[in-house]
Amino acid sequence: MKDGLGFVMGVNLVIWCGIAFYLFVLDRKIKKLEETHTNKER
Amino acid sequence: MIYKVFLTIWMAVILVAAFLYTEAATGFPGETSRILFFHVPQAWVATLSFLLSMIASCVYLARRNVKADDLALSAAELGFLFCVLATVTGSIFAKASWGSFWNWDPRETSIVILLMIYGAYFALRSAVADPEKKRVFAGVYAILAFLTVPFLVFVIPRITASLHPEDTMNPANPGMDPKTLKVFLGSLLAYTALFVWMLRLRMRILRIEGNRIEGFRD
Repeated sequence: MKDGLGFVMGVNLVIWCGIAFYLFVLDRKIKKLEETHTNKER
Repeated sequence: MIYKVFLTIWMAVILVAAFLYTEAATGFPGETSRILFFHVPQAWVATLSFLLSMIASCVYLARRNVKADDLALSAAELGFLFCVLATVTGSIFAKASWGSFWNWDPRETSIVILLMIYGAYFALRSAVADPEKKRVFAGVYAILAFLTVPFLVFVIPRITASLHPEDTMNPANPGMDPKTLKVFLGSLLAYTALFVWMLRLRMRILRIEGNRIEGFRD
């Protein structure tokens, strides 16, 4: 493996993990908002 | 939920494979050819989003279904985002290959025009106050905007002399290394799944916002 390639891969992995984590959190928050809205409708 | 966890792992695997499993293509400076696994799927997702936005706009204009308009807007937003990402990654490749981040190459120029066309779509949406009129205008505009996509993405960069690599990066090229092809196709799949996830999230947000506005009116 060439020098620096592992580092670039690591940075990419960290960025992807951050994006995925953000999307999971957003998913959860939206779910809560949807539940709140459904309860209000009832 | 399962597909989201699977996608998270799948994308991580693609990232590792893109750097460790594949070999850098010959004819490109250093490791720059690895951009193939990120730049091309981003451009693919952008084109797919604009196509979806056009189809959803047609459905909205035919049936006046608000969900179709939400889909058209969400797809256009994500298309714009992925188009910007493709432009940025392309610029990084341009710096390494051609010595400058921006060269006004036909491919670069056409992508800027495309971004401006879709930028105008959002400007149009925010300029019209009446929701019904806004959806109709945006629907018509999205259809017209997509008519330019095949020309700007596929035709113009190919009929003019361009610095942009074509044959070496073309997956249909039989000369592509099998390992590279495998990771490339995996990356296309991962980016498409990521697009679906983000699209669904954006549509759910739009639905909640729409319900709130209706709630205020009541």
